[in-house]
Amino acid sequence: MLTLLLEKTRVKSLFKSLSLSFIKKEGIKTLCSSAIIWQILFFYFPLLFLFLRSFSSLDGESLTLSYFKEILTAPYFKVLFNSLGLAFITAVASLSIAIPLMVFIVFKTNKWKYPLLFLLIIPFWTNFILNIYAWFFILEKNGLLNQFLLYLGIIDRPIHFLYNPFSTLILMVYYYLPFVALPLFSALERFDLTLYEVSLTLGAGKYKTLSRIVFPMIEKAIIVGFFLVFVPAFGEFLVPEFMGGDKIYYVGNVISLYLLGGATAGVGIAFATFSIAFLLIASSCIFLIFRLLFQMLQGGINDQP
Amino acid sequence: MDRSIRFENVSKSKNGVSIIKNMTMTIPGSLFFALLGPSGCGKTTLLRLITGLEKVDSGKIFLGNIDITDMPIHKRPINMVFQNYALFPHLSIFDNIAYSLSIKKVPKEEIKQRVLKIATSFQLESQLYKKPSMLSGGQQQRVSIARAIIEGPQVLLLDEPLAALDFKLREKLLIELIDLQSTLNITFIYVTHDQEEALTVADQMAIINGRGELEQMGTPKEIYEFPNSRFVAEFVGNTNILEGRVKSHLEQQHLVTHLGTFSLDHEKIGPWAINDVKALLVIRPEKILITKRSQTGFSNSLKGKVLSIIYTGRSTFYEVCVDSTLIKVFEQNDEHVEKEEIDYEDEVYLYWQKENTLTLEGIC
Repeated sequence: MLTLLLEKTRVKSLFKSLSLSFIKKEGIKTLCSSAIIWQILFFYFPLLFLFLRSFSSLDGESLTLSYFKEILTAPYFKVLFNSLGLAFITAVASLSIAIPLMVFIVFKTNKWKYPLLFLLIIPFWTNFILNIYAWFFILEKNGLLNQFLLYLGIIDRPIHFLYNPFSTLILMVYYYLPFVALPLFSALERFDLTLYEVSLTLGAGKYKTLSRIVFPMIEKAIIVGFFLVFVPAFGEFLVPEFMGGDKIYYVGNVISLYLLGGATAGVGIAFATFSIAFLLIASSCIFLIFRLLFQMLQGGINDQP
Repeated sequence: MDRSIRFENVSKSKNGVSIIKNMTMTIPGSLFFALLGPSGCGKTTLLRLITGLEKVDSGKIFLGNIDITDMPIHKRPINMVFQNYALFPHLSIFDNIAYSLSIKKVPKEEIKQRVLKIATSFQLESQLYKKPSMLSGGQQQRVSIARAIIEGPQVLLLDEPLAALDFKLREKLLIELIDLQSTLNITFIYVTHDQEEALTVADQMAIINGRGELEQMGTPKEIYEFPNSRFVAEFVGNTNILEGRVKSHLEQQHLVTHLGTFSLDHEKIGPWAINDVKALLVIRPEKILITKRSQTGFSNSLKGKVLSIIYTGRSTFYEVCVDSTLIKVFEQNDEHVEKEEIDYEDEVYLYWQKENTLTLEGIC
């Protein structure tokens, strides 16, 4: 009897899965599984290969730690901290521009908020190299910025904006801003302005309301945005390559230099592995600091039993 | 402490549309005051002006003798309960209630005691460590009221606080609110478009019309029994209004309408009611007796046909067609005396006493 019932439901579910819901449920599964297969084949697999390769000798016959020995010398550490600094400053700068900008766009521009968001994303659809060249026009010695400042009389000689950490940072923030702006936009859009008003009527000033109510409620978006910038910025090599002026080395440049150098590929791979580990540790530390900061900001009584 | 709120020539417009025009009104202190008006009449704007969430275009607002027109929102001893509860979703119920105290840096121990005390009186003591989303609508609104009164404001504004709750809960919370007001003895300003709610809770109430003007102010009884305009008469409660012209004859006034001539109560009629002046006769549905048998001893009567019967348990609502005019009649279902069966299409007599009617100056 029971088996019959089971059989019946199985037939039923078979019919169901053949109907429209098949496309809805099973279709998504198929799509997802193909994406996962792709991810495994072309991401995790090469990553594993890279990891193994960093422990094997050039001819691939014996295990070795010689690459790691080489990169444990001082200059490589300096490169890691250069990248860490650049990534951190880029992420913090992007956040400090994006938060007020997005608050303004979401709450103050009414019907213009989507067009403005669109404008922010447009440069993203242009090839990045083109973007970099556009910035050359602005930052070079006779570029727009210098001419503008000369015209206003703020400076009397052109300033060297290009080929230094300054121009690198400008381009980094320019490129990574949408990564942090988009999560903030959606979080702020979901924010109920009544809560802001309630807080004001309950005696909190504007800044207290921001730190106690608004920031804690968009905390996740801030953290997500930060890491969406921080992680890729850590490995960025195009911007320093074009804008850095060969004075400061970053992780991305060193890896590409070694990997393309033929005989030194082993060190490059080992360095890449090492950087990933370094990035993981640095990210975890920063994440913990974030959580602590937000808890301090909120300053609630949090009187759990 | 004078806890009254006074508007002096306050005007406010939004996007070029005038919402409140030159309003002067005093809301008495330490009473339960209801602001009643149709949707979109600017009642919520009035509340937002009192809290400071919106600024007046011109005019002044006073709390007692203090001019609060330009006082920052967070400095005003005025709190507000919002319609959609507006609890902080990331804070526990405890932290929600304690919010205003923790902003003021009240010592932790004191906060704990005060929150526990107020939570107990609101039957929330077992919910303190939950998040707002885990509570029911009624509980959430209790939290938001507790949050608004814990620091002891002088004035509590309530913007349709019960609109999202079901009928039973609404009745219960209404009674709790009335009790709360008399214990705290602060000014409650309760905004609603539900006239029954307003009549229930208010010590004093004001009716605002669709153009944002004050129509009438008074106790619920005054408003209901003696509306001073057609708008108030029609907006508060159900009513029958007959238009006609006054005919005076030997100390006795009559109103000549298309349904016939009705005698008016000359004691309640103003000196304006001279011969041939247009006037409105206001008869509340519950003041009319509906019967199939002809009766004596009433000063006015009509004869019509029953068009619809709405039975609501403790009362019945009839619509009677008299010469293609609908007259509304409300009958209590108190079975003290034997009732006659009234059915659709029945011929009925309608009787009322002239003392139970009201005559308004008619503007046609």
